Amino acid sequence: MSTSTGSQTQAGRTRTPAIELRGIGKRFPGVIANHDVDITIESGTIHALVGENGAGKSTLMKILYGVQRPDDGTITVEGQQVTLSTPADAIARGIGMVFQHFMLADNLTVLENVTLGAEKLHGIGDAARARIVEISEQYGFGLDPDELVETLGVGERQRVEILKVLYRGARIIILDEPTAVLVPQEVDALFDNLRLLREEGNTLIFISHKLDEVRAVADRITVIRRGTTVASVAPAEVTSRQLAELMVGSELPSPSTGESTVTDRVLLSVRDLTVRDAPTVPGQTVGRAVLADVSFDIHAGEVLGIAGVEGNGQTELVEALVGMRRPEQGSVHLADQDVSEWSTRRRREAGIGYVPEDRHRHGLLLDSPLWENRILGHQTRPPSVRGGWLDVRGSRKDSTRIVEQYDVRTPGIDTTARALSGGNQQKFIVGREMSGDPVLLVAAHPTRGVDVGAQAQIWQHVKDARREGLAVLLVSADLDELIGLSDTIRVMLRGRLVGDFDPQTVTPQELGSAMTGAGDEETAR
Amino acid sequence: MSVVRRAVVVLAAPVLALVVAGLIVSGLLLATGDDVAGFWRVMTTVPSERSIVAIMNQSTILYVSGVAAAIGFRMNLFNIGVEGQYRLGGFAAGAFAGQAWLPGYLNTVVAILVAMLVGALWAGIAGVLRAYRGVSEVISTIMLNAIAGSLIGYLIKRWGESTGNATNTKAMPEGSRIGTVAVFPDSPVELYGLGLLAVVVGVGFWVLLNRTRFGFDLRATGASESAAVASGVDTRRMIVVTMLVSGGVAGLIGLPVMFSQSYNYGSSFQTGLGFTGIAVALLGRNHPVGIAFGALVFAYLSQQANLLNIQAGISPDIIEATQGIIVLAVVIAYVVVRRYRVRQEQAQVARQLDDAPPGAAPASAATPAGGAR
Amino acid sequence: MRRMSKIAAVTMVGALALTGCGSNSGGGGGGGSSSSGGSASEDVCKSKTDGDGPKIGLAYDVGGRGDQSFNDSAYAGLEKAVEDLDATCVEANAQTDDNDTTRAERLRTLAEGGVNPVIAVGYLYSPAAAKVAPEYPDVDFAVIDGYASTIATDATNLADLTFAENEGSYLVGVAAALESKSGKIGFVGGVDGELIQKFEAGYVAGAKSVKPDIDIAIQYLTQDQADAATGYENPSGGKAAAEAMYQDGADVVYHAAGKSGLGVFQAAAAAGDGNWAIGVDSDQYLTAPKDQQPRILTSMLKRIDTAVLEAGKAVQDDSWKSGFVTYDLKSDGVGYSTSGGFVDDLKTQIDEAADQIKSGEVTVPAKPEN
Repeated sequence: MSTSTGSQTQAGRTRTPAIELRGIGKRFPGVIANHDVDITIESGTIHALVGENGAGKSTLMKILYGVQRPDDGTITVEGQQVTLSTPADAIARGIGMVFQHFMLADNLTVLENVTLGAEKLHGIGDAARARIVEISEQYGFGLDPDELVETLGVGERQRVEILKVLYRGARIIILDEPTAVLVPQEVDALFDNLRLLREEGNTLIFISHKLDEVRAVADRITVIRRGTTVASVAPAEVTSRQLAELMVGSELPSPSTGESTVTDRVLLSVRDLTVRDAPTVPGQTVGRAVLADVSFDIHAGEVLGIAGVEGNGQTELVEALVGMRRPEQGSVHLADQDVSEWSTRRRREAGIGYVPEDRHRHGLLLDSPLWENRILGHQTRPPSVRGGWLDVRGSRKDSTRIVEQYDVRTPGIDTTARALSGGNQQKFIVGREMSGDPVLLVAAHPTRGVDVGAQAQIWQHVKDARREGLAVLLVSADLDELIGLSDTIRVMLRGRLVGDFDPQTVTPQELGSAMTGAGDEETAR
Repeated sequence: MSVVRRAVVVLAAPVLALVVAGLIVSGLLLATGDDVAGFWRVMTTVPSERSIVAIMNQSTILYVSGVAAAIGFRMNLFNIGVEGQYRLGGFAAGAFAGQAWLPGYLNTVVAILVAMLVGALWAGIAGVLRAYRGVSEVISTIMLNAIAGSLIGYLIKRWGESTGNATNTKAMPEGSRIGTVAVFPDSPVELYGLGLLAVVVGVGFWVLLNRTRFGFDLRATGASESAAVASGVDTRRMIVVTMLVSGGVAGLIGLPVMFSQSYNYGSSFQTGLGFTGIAVALLGRNHPVGIAFGALVFAYLSQQANLLNIQAGISPDIIEATQGIIVLAVVIAYVVVRRYRVRQEQAQVARQLDDAPPGAAPASAATPAGGAR
Repeated sequence: MRRMSKIAAVTMVGALALTGCGSNSGGGGGGGSSSSGGSASEDVCKSKTDGDGPKIGLAYDVGGRGDQSFNDSAYAGLEKAVEDLDATCVEANAQTDDNDTTRAERLRTLAEGGVNPVIAVGYLYSPAAAKVAPEYPDVDFAVIDGYASTIATDATNLADLTFAENEGSYLVGVAAALESKSGKIGFVGGVDGELIQKFEAGYVAGAKSVKPDIDIAIQYLTQDQADAATGYENPSGGKAAAEAMYQDGADVVYHAAGKSGLGVFQAAAAAGDGNWAIGVDSDQYLTAPKDQQPRILTSMLKRIDTAVLEAGKAVQDDSWKSGFVTYDLKSDGVGYSTSGGFVDDLKTQIDEAADQIKSGEVTVPAKPEN
């Protein structure tokens, strides 16, 4: 495998490269986001850009899309050296970007969304409609210009985003983590679209950290680590594991659990839990059931994984367990106690540890130092609090312990939580939630937005918790993580638990079809 | 960060704000054709002994008012009703003390408790409305201010007594009055005895915020309500309790003047302090020490307003404008300085961690540098 | 950031709540014909810096110069003193959050600035003056409407200059009753307290002396003694109160509400022909905008200007009198104005009532009946 990056061309191609980046560097005060970035992207190829979170991929793409200007280096687009000051410059050069979070107005039609801001191209009437239909047919998007966006599924919305970019005349399309929001079947469909786009002569830049996907679709893969390009390889030359090691720069862990530690002692028992939204339609007295008749048990030493497309009730389940959301009916038993009517504080005192889905909103006081964050969620318990009084010394001491035991990379415990990287914030939260002898750990997306190193450590902590006999509820969108860590996997769909899988035997495809509601038989291979 | 650099960063915002405000006011004076040189001459003259005492007196009152407002602000509760709470509390205390049901200082102590209780209850109404009915406390406290004024007017007209053209509650007995403390032997103005309340309130506020569970919950709710809820804070209860505490402190605002000077609640009772307290709290960033600084600045300005008016012919309105400009300048300066600090800290963390050899343990347990935050 | 902007927003709300009470909005300005209430350039205390006469220090009440009423009447006295006595003067304005200490400081600062006499406008200065006067035995102090001499009973340099507002109000009450076609008149008071009740009592008595069954609507802008801003610096409140009275059929409205009265005039102008307003303290016809002048029937004159002038003269002549000095109808301390000529046809009847008061035939009550 080659680790040089320069101007090597793929065999048989002599066309001008679509994009050449040479020596790109970008510094923010005190932080170097990119340095010495060299990439050559051949025209008419799918070029993948992989790297850990925080490796500098996003900054690089922002530079390419004109959102930020590089401090050093040159950008050459189709043989011409250019300066991209604004996204408008990039669009004028035929560069388009599809963001991870869609920027669509739900209450407008596809036509309106596409023409919004590009009215000068083909107007907003029949000419525009004709052009949209043309593009849609050309690439097999299957979009109806007059359909409302709110009725579309995630995959279709993504195609609308791509269509928007093509409509504006892009020939070079940047896709920022396009598969993050898709289930496996939709990913396959997206890849078909991408291949068709490539055949029509477009150039695609595909950002991801899902290495199997990258290897399946890309013609060329560039790896970014610590702000710079470290390798450019052909997918056939490498395994996913090798790629991952290039990204991390070291040997890679995997989330497998090893021996079962499940006991027959039930620690968490949930029965018929139903949660309703506030009514959204005026006059309506009952809202939609976002959680319907959910029942399950978790035993000591067991990790129960919950899979599901986001928005199918996982968040509500977690919040109902922690006591932040009042269920309409159903019971929750923690060990032998009925905690259904208990407040969040009482439940936490009884031993529920909570690693929230959104750590900035629910897990940390960003502008407070770490030792104060140690108190959060433990306001009634030693070592941080005694009686009604804070125990500053105890809290500081225990924070130091967490920092050391959980390998939180920080200059000290007086550093504010905001200053830490996502992985270190998360490690601190896990350490805190594992303090005070919890019996149940509720972990929602514990490794989301966390670098690979921290991810491995957090996995290890979940495994440790399991070995120590905790019951663990693991909600995750990362199917590999679920399969690797769980003793049992349940799938949530529209507020109900629909499937029950053994992680030893299940494949991501099977989970994926259960998550989308497709029957098992359809996807059986 | 070295001590010097820390101090520079901490002081940067208020100093920057004062400088900017000074420039703006100078421009304003130029535009209105006032005497700019006279303004600065008066503002930079060392105040007379008498004025110093007067400034201290006004500072203590404004400090208590600032703390009352800050308690709510700390958890994003905007108690605009300090005004009504302290007037009603002051009235209740004055009326109670005037009845002289209890002997001597016992009367005083109970009157102080009455003031706190009444202030707390008045604020509690807004707290309950917010917690259980979702009524914005901004709206309800403004309404309650108006109601408080009318209520006092009615009660005092009904049961008060008249002195000349003024109407007031019965004067409290000699034995329940609190004397004044002479700071300078020749100054006719002396410190209010109950000015001591400001010290108690200040220390209490600091301890409450930084050393009690309630204070932690309060700050957590203010910093991130969602995180506080997830940590088990019962926000409804917090809203009500916080309003009660804020109103209780507000009840104290009018007492130093009443017990050391006017001996009753009447027409000459000082109004408007509740609103000034909001500005003082903002200026002091809701921090116990910062509020003291804010109170001092405002007291200094309002004391100088007399001199400016008489010696330089500058209208007190200019002083009010100055106070407003300072508050705005401080708010803006803090945003600027805070961004700088966040960036600095992140950069510093990145730098320190880069220097460490890979995989090494973090620089463990940094010095527990006094970090009172 | 989000929090900052919320704080800033609330500051604005707070500021609005403050200024909402204290602003001059709707004041309509001086309207041009004013000799007082103008800009700094026409200020006699600034334009004239030396003179052989006394140096008068004047501390205004809330509302300050430009209220075209109470405070301006005091300023008119300064103007006269400057002219007649070759006096010079220094002015000081009140702040809305004054307390007795800050008021005392204001008087001290004036006294130390070498003025004599120090004249404080408004009874709120009474406790402060009573405290300060003994500290400066060489300076004479006077409080308009005050009761300071009841507190500092020994002070020989302290005078309370009070007025028989009830007598003056009786006369405009007579005029109102005579002019009213609808049999319904109104009264807008500032702060509901002893002082303004004197105006009310006299007005009611005067009106009833002409038409015993006349219907009189009475409204105060605030019950809250300590809230001078809502009472005397609140033109929009005055306007709302008067508007309601005119709509309710009243055709003459008398105000005793300082600057808030400017709103009463606006309401009268809006109500149009056949509706009248009566001014207070100063001859408010002279300072009103053109569109309001035809609606100002008369003004109850409270000769604060005379009191200020005489205080200056007393210092000059070394004839200072301490204790209460009362300006009544007999001594021309109160009266009514005839500017505009709208009361010319009623003059005989009004003057007849005045004579009855002067002779003691009629005693005007100082308190409302109930």
